[in-house]
Amino acid sequence: MRVILAEDSTLLREGLVRLLTEEGHEVPAAVGNAELLLRAVEEEQPDVVVADVRMPPTHSDEGLRAALEIRERWPGVGVLVLSQYVEKRYATELLTGASEGVGYLLKDRVVQVDEFLDALERVAQGRAAFDPEVVRQLLGRSKHTDLLGRLTARERDVLAEMAQGHTNAAIAERLHISRSGVEKHINSIFDKLELTGGEGYSRRVLAVLRYLGT
Amino acid sequence: MTGAATAAVELPFAAVSGLALLPVLAWPRGRRAVLRPVFAGARRLAELERARIRIWLGHPVATAYEDARALRYVSVRWALGALGAIVMLSVVLGVAYGTFWAYGWLLVDVTHPGSVALGTLGGLFLLFLAVQGIFGVAELERQLAQRILGPRHQDELERRIVELAESRAAVLDAVHDERRRIERDLHDGVQQRLVALGMLLGRALRSTDAEHMDRLLRQAHDESRQALGELRDVAWRIYPTALDEAGLRAALETVAERSSVPVRVECDLDEEPDTAAATVAYFVVCEAVTNAVKHAAPSRITVRVGTEDGFLYVCVEDDGCGGADPKGSGLFGLARRVAALDGLLNVISPPGGPTYVTAELPCG
Repeated sequence: MRVILAEDSTLLREGLVRLLTEEGHEVPAAVGNAELLLRAVEEEQPDVVVADVRMPPTHSDEGLRAALEIRERWPGVGVLVLSQYVEKRYATELLTGASEGVGYLLKDRVVQVDEFLDALERVAQGRAAFDPEVVRQLLGRSKHTDLLGRLTARERDVLAEMAQGHTNAAIAERLHISRSGVEKHINSIFDKLELTGGEGYSRRVLAVLRYLGT
Repeated sequence: MTGAATAAVELPFAAVSGLALLPVLAWPRGRRAVLRPVFAGARRLAELERARIRIWLGHPVATAYEDARALRYVSVRWALGALGAIVMLSVVLGVAYGTFWAYGWLLVDVTHPGSVALGTLGGLFLLFLAVQGIFGVAELERQLAQRILGPRHQDELERRIVELAESRAAVLDAVHDERRRIERDLHDGVQQRLVALGMLLGRALRSTDAEHMDRLLRQAHDESRQALGELRDVAWRIYPTALDEAGLRAALETVAERSSVPVRVECDLDEEPDTAAATVAYFVVCEAVTNAVKHAAPSRITVRVGTEDGFLYVCVEDDGCGGADPKGSGLFGLARRVAALDGLLNVISPPGGPTYVTAELPCG
């Protein structure tokens, strides 16, 4: 894949570039601020962008703003946002508008190299990747706790996996249950949460996340 | 003498003002019209008196008083002026009497030793009265000016309360800034290093090539040392433990050691200042040195600290390019920290340098 990085810490930027090239990906640009990121995306049209939320000059949410702009201007480019800590607001903002190929990970997740690469892959393919921690907090803070209370423990596990952006096959593998078992759980979850099911994987994830985030 | 002379102006002024005010007392607009020139006159007279008291009695009186108080002062002061005039008159009489008596003593044969003795006694008594009178009138002048013009106890208290409320708010802000900085230090420094370390280990785990893995592990090992160093730095910036363990001098010497520009520390401390003052002094030096290194490109920095009369003095001097902005976030935060201790922070930084950052902190 062609990946563009935006991260202001030189140390991490270099580390990520090395990691991605070792894995056989191409990194046409690695930049340190949002302005350069937008310019690089315009020129390079990568498959996916990895952007830190906090970047110069104000170190508040430049990366997120840039990510939203990229989603709007180049919907084909996947965007994976890295954040220092879980900000529900960021997750929710990423979920408004076009709903394909977005991801929101905690920066620390990069340390789990396998998971990070897997999330990047999913976002590049137009699916979703949400940090388990983000999902956990959304599950914990959702205004729909009364409805969530109807779910069985197993269904909650499946919901959490689904909200992170995993496919049915991946969920089956991760929870050691059969594919048909996963599908059954998911149908039951959609019924209980009164979500009218979308077709694609991403849309299904985003429906869940929106539901949790409101 | 001048007191008596000003009284001669004040009495008619007060009388005329009073008469002018009588007919318009019940009529607000007229009262305002009359009061304006009256107040202006009263203020001018009060200012004159203030200058006089400062010059002759060496007693400064506050400038901040309302017009009404000036008028009240002027209308009372003339009586004191008159008293002063009487005292002056008795001095003149005493002098006249004394010269008369000396003249009698030296030039005329004394025929009545009794009358001489009586004269001597009388003269001395008058002299005593005159001196007493002068001192008494001077003291009365001072008291009166202080009472009517000087800040009242109530005002003093109110001013102090406002000051304290402001400095308390400033302390809270300073604490917030501090916390924000610590959060930034942790996230942008320590966390990045640890993530980088984790990434190196993750890459090493995925690597199939033994040599490559070996190289990554070495890098990771090195990175872990760096992360520890970073953590120590952040902890040190949050609170220098050396302050408690080895005192201000040792803490400042550590600042000097860690600076990339040569720093000379001159300590003149009779005894260790109290913790609050020492901590603020330490941060003043830290911030001033950091600022200088970051913005002024100095070739040397001199730090002087000393205690004198219950104050801890700090001065950080650098020969850099100057032009430091006291309103800049770092220096402003320092000023707030210093104000919280009732201290004073001064920044003198002309373009082209040198820059002086000084602080006076009450301690003990």
